Amino acid sequence: MQRSTFSDITYKWAVGLLAGLGILILVGPVAIVIATSFTTSQTLRFPPPELSLRWYRELFDPVRSAQIHIAAWNSVWVAFCATAVGMVLSVLAALAVARVSRPSARLLEAGFLSPLVLPTLSYGLAALMFFSVMGIRPSLNLLIAGHLVVIAPFIFRTTLASLTQLDPGLLEASQSLGASRLYAFRRITLPLIAPGIAAGCFLAFISSMDNVPVSLFLSTARTGMLPIRMWGMMESTLDVRIAAIAGVLILATLVLMLVMDRLTGLTKRMSG
Amino acid sequence: MGSGSRPVMLQRPDMPPAVAQPLTLDGVTHSYGGGLAVDNVTLEVKGGELVALLGPSGCGKTTLLRIVAGFIEQSNGKVIIGERPIDTLPPSRREIGIVFQNYALFPHMTVAQNIAYGLAARGESRKVQAERVAEMLAIVQLEAMADRKPRQLSGGQQQRVALARALAIRPRILLLDEPFAALDKNLRLDMQIEIKRLQRQFALTAIMVTHDQDEAMAIADRIAVMSQGRIEQVGTPTQVYDEPASLFVNGFLGTSNLLDGTVETAGPEGYGVALNAGTRWTVASSRKFAPGEPVTVSVRPEQMVLADEAGEGRFPVSVALSLPIGGELIHDVAGPAGTSLKIAAPRRPGVSSRSAEQAFCGLADHARPSLFARS
Repeated sequence: MQRSTFSDITYKWAVGLLAGLGILILVGPVAIVIATSFTTSQTLRFPPPELSLRWYRELFDPVRSAQIHIAAWNSVWVAFCATAVGMVLSVLAALAVARVSRPSARLLEAGFLSPLVLPTLSYGLAALMFFSVMGIRPSLNLLIAGHLVVIAPFIFRTTLASLTQLDPGLLEASQSLGASRLYAFRRITLPLIAPGIAAGCFLAFISSMDNVPVSLFLSTARTGMLPIRMWGMMESTLDVRIAAIAGVLILATLVLMLVMDRLTGLTKRMSG
Repeated sequence: MGSGSRPVMLQRPDMPPAVAQPLTLDGVTHSYGGGLAVDNVTLEVKGGELVALLGPSGCGKTTLLRIVAGFIEQSNGKVIIGERPIDTLPPSRREIGIVFQNYALFPHMTVAQNIAYGLAARGESRKVQAERVAEMLAIVQLEAMADRKPRQLSGGQQQRVALARALAIRPRILLLDEPFAALDKNLRLDMQIEIKRLQRQFALTAIMVTHDQDEAMAIADRIAVMSQGRIEQVGTPTQVYDEPASLFVNGFLGTSNLLDGTVETAGPEGYGVALNAGTRWTVASSRKFAPGEPVTVSVRPEQMVLADEAGEGRFPVSVALSLPIGGELIHDVAGPAGTSLKIAAPRRPGVSSRSAEQAFCGLADHARPSLFARS
């Protein structure tokens, strides 16, 4: 048995306290919003007087929540399309950047990642002005294009990371065995970087789903997006359905995360 | 995959290539960052021969191997297999099997898939693939491991898979890059025998890169000792060990004692050399020396003896330390003029050191010292 000194104990307490505080700040709001979503009351009040599924029933009612449903499908569609297009572009970009060791490649890398540090609000405004100057009317496709710029770097970054971890010897071995570049890509590179691509797509999808700044500028009444809709409801009616939406989103993210972990975990185990 | 000219032997999986092809390096030079990584190397590897490129790290041996494989394009010179220069062929068309230093097994594929990879890439049918995989697994004795992933195998097993994968495409040439560096010492001899066996069985012309003289001595038919991008000497293992062409080769292969002296006479028996240690030896050499020329005599530790009495060709030494190493007793002795020598003698059971500190040191009867010019 090792004797703990005074500094060991204070360290333990300090770290424990910080960790507890962190968990409280991260999990607390989530717990409160979920608890509130099960309320019977008319208002967003915590703690709820009694528990029921009333607001979830309301939320899933096709007539009374039609606007929310449209916004939700818009958000999912935009996130899906932006992620799909972003995946193709980012993987190609990462492949090119990883192959070249010249300084120009580092410059390109920084360029591709720059949307991550760009203030998204300014980008939203800039995109709106740019598209109106070009004479392009707001539409879902425009939203997809707008989101694409903001979320593609997530996929680019994780793909590039898994490419740099790829042993170049594997591709040389493949070459010496008579395989073409395309064959090597299909059977060696792609399977080994797939977990990285999947992780990036997950991050990209989530970040598109709850993107406010770009949607704020590029969406219209016709192309309402879920986060914007929620904000609108919050401002006007303090509708408890907002809490129910939050509950559904949290649950969906949780499920998606478990699926992702299962998939990439599996691929990780397969690729050693 | 755009490879129209596959050799016929691929269609006949059970027939190794009948005639091993020679590999010729003709004046191969590669400059890299202003310096010469490989400097005008000419080397002919006969069909079915295993040549080891031996040298310290940075001597250019790995660069040379990668030039043969096609991963590096040389600045000058030709690589020829059989009669045909292959310099314009990409690595995927060279029909060269490579065993990489870290094996480079595909981690996400099973052993069987790894071995079948080259055949699958060539578009061979599943039946041909399965037959060849079974054959290769039997040859490297890993039948039970067919469905395992590489990381579930030991180092020796991984290397056997790497060998099987390289040989499954029936290559014309086999390249081995530091093949034993990652293996336990006990496993090395087994794998050396295994590689030698397969190389003979498949009648392969092979080049092995290594910095380990024991490995090179163990399995190479000939050794090319490299230093600073050049080949210093090519010869059989015993040739380069017994008759090193330069002091570098002499020092790189095995241990040796260097004694300074001066040539006094030249005769049919050899040169009479007066050693600074205070005696006179007759040393044969294929190189020419003039009387009066300062020279260095090199003698292997096992070719020197310690005696209790003075005698012809002996000089007095004091034994500083004796180490019993297995069946040998290694004496570290100090001679006159500050020379330090190592002498290896067979050890009698129960003896762990030499009794007397003062002794006389001379050449053994079978000794073949080497003579080098001293500048």
